[in-house]
Amino acid sequence: MYKRLLGRLLSWTLRLDVAINRAYPTDFNPLYYTGGLSNLFLTVLVLSGIFLFFYYVPSLNDAYTSVEFITNDVPYGMIIRGIHRYSADAFMIAILLHFFRNWFTERFRFSRDEPWISGMMLLLFAGFIGVTGYALVWDQRSELLAAMTGNALGAVPLVGGWLRSMLFGGTGLTDLLLARMLYLHVGPATVLYILLWWHYVRIRHPKVWPPAVWTLFSLGFIFLFCGLLPATSQLAASPGTVPSRLAVDVFYLLPYVGLKYVAPVWLIALAVVIVVYGLYIPYQLPETPAEMGLRDSGIAQVVDANCTGCELCYFDCPYDAIVMVPSPHPGVTKAAQARKLFAIVLESRCVECGICIGACPFEALELPEMLAKDVEEQVLSACRS
Amino acid sequence: MPWIVLLSLLSFVCILGIFWGEATGHRALVGGLIGVVLLAYSFILLFLRKGGFTGV
Repeated sequence: MYKRLLGRLLSWTLRLDVAINRAYPTDFNPLYYTGGLSNLFLTVLVLSGIFLFFYYVPSLNDAYTSVEFITNDVPYGMIIRGIHRYSADAFMIAILLHFFRNWFTERFRFSRDEPWISGMMLLLFAGFIGVTGYALVWDQRSELLAAMTGNALGAVPLVGGWLRSMLFGGTGLTDLLLARMLYLHVGPATVLYILLWWHYVRIRHPKVWPPAVWTLFSLGFIFLFCGLLPATSQLAASPGTVPSRLAVDVFYLLPYVGLKYVAPVWLIALAVVIVVYGLYIPYQLPETPAEMGLRDSGIAQVVDANCTGCELCYFDCPYDAIVMVPSPHPGVTKAAQARKLFAIVLESRCVECGICIGACPFEALELPEMLAKDVEEQVLSACRS
Repeated sequence: MPWIVLLSLLSFVCILGIFWGEATGHRALVGGLIGVVLLAYSFILLFLRKGGFTGV
């Protein structure tokens, strides 16, 4: 059932690709750059965040005033606040598009489980950073968020009270809350870059940046939004009268809406189940023996005599499984005699896909269980039949 | 081609608007106009590409 659903989703995703490719040149298709767009928005968030950081005062008395000062008195502060606000939503949209696209196109198979798991972590951290950002403004929404977070933390079995007191800096509302929120906003943003390194480490040619068309379009859209709908605060928080209505940003605050209908402990349990399932996705559909047979071709082997050190296989391997080392001796063939480098396959990384075989024009790589001549024979016999 | 010319003209008008907004303190307008210029540039790039004026 799940496999059939996944097949259908793949088909719809590919149809969408084809439709977009009719309107745009293929290399401009924005769905191919959802990861790069996420990076673009993250960079915008970091740069605008640094600007805001220098004006923000993390205390219950001054936080709201400092945000209002940024908005109304700092030159272009309103625009930069808006850029930070709308980039955060755009960041989440790009991440979710990236997540669903890679899920539906099954880009978590073979050694891509690592990018998938690091991607899940990135999604979690991005959501967390967004929520802490909303708390920093210290308007009525922030106050309500703080109260709801405190209640939810308090509902965690065994350690709830301790967690709540760690976040709030005491049993009630203390001046330490916003300093801690600021740390929880900025600190995990730094961790995002470590997770990004993990995300990319096994991908040979990651598209880390969108093409200029989409960079300009995305930035333009954000600027336009800042002009048309400037980011504003709600009324200042007033201790003692926690507001009852929450203005919801669907990309970050949806779980808080759930708190209206479900007890905090159940919402936390649901969140844990969703995260664990997300991490399990790459392993949900174990390959059948028939599917395994298709790629059970053995680790790619370099034919020493033929390798010219041209690096084509090194550049083409999407799994970063080939490294080039100084050649210990010349090759045998004429083309390989003057080589300076020599290709080595890292066994732990090779997924036996055969891409390097296609990349090598010198027949210097082979899959031991699927030699080129065997493949040729299979193709010919298939053609004859 | 006509679209490229139109978008270029629009960008020019917006840039005049940016200067005017900066001189008169209409900073939200300046932000919005910067957005329009960037959007126009993105479409100019797209049309240049689709018209074959720029390569891959």
